[in-house]
Amino acid sequence: MTVFMSEADTIVAVGRLTSTRLQAFISAELLVPVQSPQGPLFGPSDLARLELLCDLAEHFDLEGDALGVVMGLIDQLHATRQRLHAVTRALEAEPFEVRRRVGLRIVAGQVKG
Amino acid sequence: MSDDPYAALGLTKTATAADIKKAYRKLVRTSHPDLHPDDPKAEGRLKTITAAHDLLKDPATRTRFDSGEIDASGAERPPDRAGRGFYRDYADAPGQSYPQGQRFEDFGDPSDIFAHILRQRAQSGTGQSGPFGDSDFSVPGQDLRFSLEVPFLEAVRGSKTRITLPGGENLDVQIPKGLNDGQTLRLRGRGGPGYGGGTAGDALVTVSVRPHPMFRREGDDIVLTLPISMDEAILGGKVAVPTIDGVVSLTIPKGATSGQILRLRGRGVHPQRAAKAGNQRVELRIASPPVIDANLQAFMENWRKTHSYDPRKAAFEGMPE
Repeated sequence: MTVFMSEADTIVAVGRLTSTRLQAFISAELLVPVQSPQGPLFGPSDLARLELLCDLAEHFDLEGDALGVVMGLIDQLHATRQRLHAVTRALEAEPFEVRRRVGLRIVAGQVKG
Repeated sequence: MSDDPYAALGLTKTATAADIKKAYRKLVRTSHPDLHPDDPKAEGRLKTITAAHDLLKDPATRTRFDSGEIDASGAERPPDRAGRGFYRDYADAPGQSYPQGQRFEDFGDPSDIFAHILRQRAQSGTGQSGPFGDSDFSVPGQDLRFSLEVPFLEAVRGSKTRITLPGGENLDVQIPKGLNDGQTLRLRGRGGPGYGGGTAGDALVTVSVRPHPMFRREGDDIVLTLPISMDEAILGGKVAVPTIDGVVSLTIPKGATSGQILRLRGRGVHPQRAAKAGNQRVELRIASPPVIDANLQAFMENWRKTHSYDPRKAAFEGMPE
């Protein structure tokens, strides 16, 4: 089962995080905590996302909308990779002849493009 | 890391503090695993340059390193991330909730990236003027996330449940048959309200499945350990077995033994979109009678004289005498 952490535990777990910073991330919708009767909760992927947000904020002085644009692009990159993997997996299940035809078409497209 | 933190950052000892920061930023840009999810070597590179930067960013430790008081590993500290890894390790998980509001169907709508910025301007009121006039300004609402714990049987059988939102209203959730632990359900239009006629966001409900004391799930199979009596094991016979859909009768073969696995075909989990259901695997475990009466003892002692067998023979094969 996924383990969720409270806001206070999350701030302790992600060393560089402060309450102010966390609130800023949430109100900028850079991070959407899980809502519960006990207040907002954070899972393992939220903690990893917070580390990334802290990296970007600290090393590149990114904040506000600029941080939003960068995270938006990273999220789109991941979504695109996920779709690409889905297509690749679907192709893997196809017979060799289909994969060969698709492969040839991709190579031809790259030469033209 | 390398022995020379200056070299790791592509610098020499004469570098200024500004040079160090600049070099570090540039290298993080090219080596942060989350900015280069397909580069397997990025993590190692980031570790090296971060260790080098940690050593050189502080003028005091830098002076100590320069004078040979500490070596390059002196400042190397355990990673901050406490074994969590990087965000990219999670971003590929199914049901990932970012980017907000994007689904497979609306492949790459570039306007999504600005939606939340516009939404915030709308909330703070600054969106009412300027290029986004009242008439054609509309932004979809925010997706909201919830967690929900579901009992094992409700998750495999499917059910209806309800979560209470922080605002006090209730949200009905349909649990599809065969739901997996950690799966995220998307309830369209149940998230935050849209602005300027924009559609409402979605509610994303991440479900954790509470384990069952008897049943375990392995893929679409259900695994159950079933105690049988000594006489059932020896003589065989029919016994009642619980399955996720009720009690069924199972034939124990004559001479059954502990650890033997019997299969109840089609009695496992049948996920909503799967062609067929999994099986239930029943692992037998022989339970001795609670009381050994004089009759049984006398019978066994007699039986042993003429029929003794050694089930441990294989375990001793090849062992030195």
